Amino acid sequence: MSPAKSAERQAGPGHGQDGPGVCAQTPGSPAIHAIELSKRYGGTVALAGLSMTVARGEVFGFLGPNGAGKTTAVKLLLGLARPTGGEAMVLGAPAGDRETRRQIGYLPELFRFQSWLTAREVLVLHCRLMRLPRPRWAPAADEALQVVGLSGRGDDKVGTFSKGMQQRLGLGVALLGEPALVVLDEPTSALDPVGRHDVRVIVRELRDRGATVFLNTHLLEEAEHVCDRVTILSKGRSVATGTLGELQGTRPSVRVRVTGLPGRWWQPLAGFGRWTADGDWLLVEEMTDGRVPELVAAIVSLGGRVEAVIPEHQSLEESFLELLGEK
Amino acid sequence: MSAIWTIASLTVREAVRRRLVAAFALISVLMVGLSGWGFYRLSHGSGFTSGESNLALPQAVVLFMFMFSFVVALSASAVASLAVSSEIDSGVLQAVVARPVRRSDVLLGKWLGLVGLLAAYTAIVCGLLVAVVYLTSGFVAPDPAAAAGFVLAEGVVLLTLVLLLSTRLSSLAAGVIGVALFGVAWLAGVVGSLGAAFHIGALHTAGEIGQYVLPTDGLWHGAMFYLEPSSFLAQQLAESPIGQGDPFLAVAGPAWPYLTWAGIWLVLVLMLGLVSFERREL
Repeated sequence: MSPAKSAERQAGPGHGQDGPGVCAQTPGSPAIHAIELSKRYGGTVALAGLSMTVARGEVFGFLGPNGAGKTTAVKLLLGLARPTGGEAMVLGAPAGDRETRRQIGYLPELFRFQSWLTAREVLVLHCRLMRLPRPRWAPAADEALQVVGLSGRGDDKVGTFSKGMQQRLGLGVALLGEPALVVLDEPTSALDPVGRHDVRVIVRELRDRGATVFLNTHLLEEAEHVCDRVTILSKGRSVATGTLGELQGTRPSVRVRVTGLPGRWWQPLAGFGRWTADGDWLLVEEMTDGRVPELVAAIVSLGGRVEAVIPEHQSLEESFLELLGEK
Repeated sequence: MSAIWTIASLTVREAVRRRLVAAFALISVLMVGLSGWGFYRLSHGSGFTSGESNLALPQAVVLFMFMFSFVVALSASAVASLAVSSEIDSGVLQAVVARPVRRSDVLLGKWLGLVGLLAAYTAIVCGLLVAVVYLTSGFVAPDPAAAAGFVLAEGVVLLTLVLLLSTRLSSLAAGVIGVALFGVAWLAGVVGSLGAAFHIGALHTAGEIGQYVLPTDGLWHGAMFYLEPSSFLAQQLAESPIGQGDPFLAVAGPAWPYLTWAGIWLVLVLMLGLVSFERREL
């Protein structure tokens, strides 16, 4: 069994094993719970039975190649489209529930705002649509502008903004009213490296204040930096769910540089895992967890000097490609 | 209700910011200014007798209003066609409807905002026209306010239809179909009038059906009726070779049952638009 599949199997309570009954509208209900959620457009299957659970307060990465059905799933969760099968609960209410949308911030993949409004006016418009109390409109707009780095451009027309600035504004719109769930659909697609870094900081701050972040992305690096757990979607179906560690392999490898020992010194270490030697370097793969100190001690007992110990994990990209059958 | 007003005021603000209001103001001033000059020439120094002037002035007012009703219809079609589908295509609406608002409130807000703009535009142009015609020629139509109301109603009917189409079709398709249907309805009205004048039952019936399917032409007849003094009407009927078949004559205003139908038609099409938008996948 591959590490990722193992991660799927190992998912604990509340991580995909709940029945429909768990979807009751209780404060403790998951942020998102989907059961066999499906969507067909005519003869085309966009989503083929997605089941997943996102716990409250976690940053959840929704990964997959282009066309995997990620944006379709987001639209179903927000009620922008209707499923052709299955069901989904968001914050304890059926997906698309109008009142629940007060607690959801959403940055669409296609982020466009009224180009003839200023950034501040766009934010105030969304405050009004969210029915925030009037005295909160101006402070909320100012805060959002400050958080996304647009403080100096609040009174400029959105039409004069670059795509990156519009995406920052979209992020600001999604953060209004301190939502319990923030759905970010490809939030860094138009951003430069500084912008991407800023988004990571914002996502971490959201997690720190207890919000759930549903991060839809095809950028694995983005997920690696901020996500607590991810699900990988392929052809409309989840192929793996777990923490990054689980998806990257539960049996880590270690690369050790050893000096002071004669040739073929490593043969007594065969029991630690699958090994490969290259000069002074020894790569031990598929080690049992926690045996690295034992390995180092064994080398030292043989009279060797351990110059370096470098733990190695399968990268998320490698896991991703493996799961998608591309490797 | 607050979402409806939010969207309605946003729609009006968009028209102002995008300089739509400025463009219409400029065109209106140009239109009324030119017509003022025309009315002045018609009543001063044209060599017409007072009897001839009494015939020419109402006719000129009807022609002006016909042109204006066409401008209103085109404007209604254009703004309504852009209101929904182009915002869906651009992604602007997705961010709005993801908020805790009813989609029906969003569409109603847009409808209300556009109707408000159309009403203001119609009232201002018709008011200016009445003033200019009176100042340059001394002519006052029997009931210009009622006529303006019918022109506005005609525009609102088309606006509502195009808004419905815009929930499903592209902006271009919705606008073109709306204008084309408006033209067909007017043509059906002419055909119906000719059918009545020449006692050709099939043509008359076709015209009547057309007025029920899309009530723009029926409402236009209401506008014409309230612009024509009774003396003018009597003289035209006596002199016109086709009498009641003249497409620029209305011998009677629309009957109440017809106006009731136009109201029901409007509500039905608006509700259809609300349902269509509610069910639209974004």
